[in-house]
Amino acid sequence: MKTLVSITLSAAILTSALIAGEQFAMSDKDRAMYAELLEANPADIMVAHGEELFEEIGSDAALAKFLDVSEDDLPKYIAGFPRYVEKLKIVSGLGQVIQALQASQGLKPSKLDSHDSADMLAYVKSLANDEKINIDINANSHMKAAYALGKEVFETKRGGRGLACLSCHSTDIVGGVLRTQPLPDLGSVKAAATWPAYRMTKSKMFTLQGRMQQCMHAALLAKIPKGSKEMVALEVYVTTMSQGKTIQIPGLKR
Amino acid sequence: MKRRDFFKTLTSAVAVGAALPVMSFAAETKKHAGPNAFSYEQALEAITGGKEPKKSSRAHLKVPEIAENGAVVPVTIEVDSPMTADDYVKAIHIFATKNNNVRCIDAHLTPANGKAMLATRIKLGGTQEVAALVELSNGEFLVAAQSVKVTIGGCG
Amino acid sequence: MGKMQSLIKIKPKKFKDGEIVKVNFMVMHPMETGMRKDKKTGKIVPAHYINNIKFEYNGKVITNMTVWESVSANPVFTTYMKINGKGKLIVTFTDNKGGSYEKSKKIKPKG
Repeated sequence: MKTLVSITLSAAILTSALIAGEQFAMSDKDRAMYAELLEANPADIMVAHGEELFEEIGSDAALAKFLDVSEDDLPKYIAGFPRYVEKLKIVSGLGQVIQALQASQGLKPSKLDSHDSADMLAYVKSLANDEKINIDINANSHMKAAYALGKEVFETKRGGRGLACLSCHSTDIVGGVLRTQPLPDLGSVKAAATWPAYRMTKSKMFTLQGRMQQCMHAALLAKIPKGSKEMVALEVYVTTMSQGKTIQIPGLKR
Repeated sequence: MKRRDFFKTLTSAVAVGAALPVMSFAAETKKHAGPNAFSYEQALEAITGGKEPKKSSRAHLKVPEIAENGAVVPVTIEVDSPMTADDYVKAIHIFATKNNNVRCIDAHLTPANGKAMLATRIKLGGTQEVAALVELSNGEFLVAAQSVKVTIGGCG
Repeated sequence: MGKMQSLIKIKPKKFKDGEIVKVNFMVMHPMETGMRKDKKTGKIVPAHYINNIKFEYNGKVITNMTVWESVSANPVFTTYMKINGKGKLIVTFTDNKGGSYEKSKKIKPKG
């Protein structure tokens, strides 16, 4: 059954590629026009808003202190997330760290699904702009376990169509066209280095976890909650695909 | 899920899914002739007062040939002009010739701009020509236009 | 005057007096055309879009834009401006619902 599903899916994608692929391939000139839009990305406003909100909880200095790193080392440290955070005793994404920082000051933590949480996350991650992603999946047993769990989540077929992330994001199928969009290799498109990003078709900014939830929704997979063990593990796994890539956020995506 | 049903669902989703958004927007456009519904020709005449705009290499219109989505289409117009008090670009108008409201933006410039340029992002309901009308301080009108193919698709 | 999230970006960040700089004005606004149906309620979402933007520098109008609903949501408007001494760039914008907003940025040329 599993083989049949993957053969059928590949056949459908190949058919779609024959019909739609050539017709809608954007030229380099067109792609350059979209790249120019990064100079004034609507998400810049969200990052600025995130900065404002973050100032209320002590800004970069408070975050550095909370994470036990110097302010000078903060950008490189952020570029290594998700990390096992000793203080929280879990492998954590930036969103949860911000929540913990808020809680440590007696403030109500912003829900991970909220705009405020996404805006602050985008601001914090922007501090690591121009740094290379340096996640360490061998740092300790927690990170090793998170990587293994993330790989399992990525490869498990589920939902109404029996699809896994791997069904569309495996190196075998990458480049094939599904509904006029080429299927991306999450490493080549530097997914972890370019999210949070503004999605033009949604007129909204999403974090990487948020974008993966949308992907699940489209593929008829039950959404995995933000900040859950499985979702953070998935983020760990997807981040390793962009290891060494330079962080440039906010991104601008379709 | 039975394999036959799965294959049928997937292929039909690919075919129908791609067609639907265009159809529903076109249907909406015909229904709503609101207060801003002009034709491109009417809009041009309202601005030029009937004067014929000239196609000129001085006006550089930059839009993608293929727009990967219709929600955010970059448009840039640059006009060769000294932008002095005696010789400057008075206005740049952008049109989406097949949108329900063809008018997108009317920018009134002054010599203090220093450079005659306008860039923004527009919504396009479907494949159509995007046009730019340039008003010069000497009363002349220049025009530039290009077709933009709008693709619909993606996985949500 | 109400408050609406917006941003003025000048490029380059450092410029001399008399230089012509790029001005990006960005604002969070839904730019609803009045033709879209809300998927949950089935009702038409009323038109709500920015309809005018005025750029003033030290009391002088540099650019005035009439904006229509075909412009993208969370729009960005790019023009150029010749810097004439230090001062304040004030952007005033209105929308079709009668809202009126302002965003300003202090400008200080160096040299």
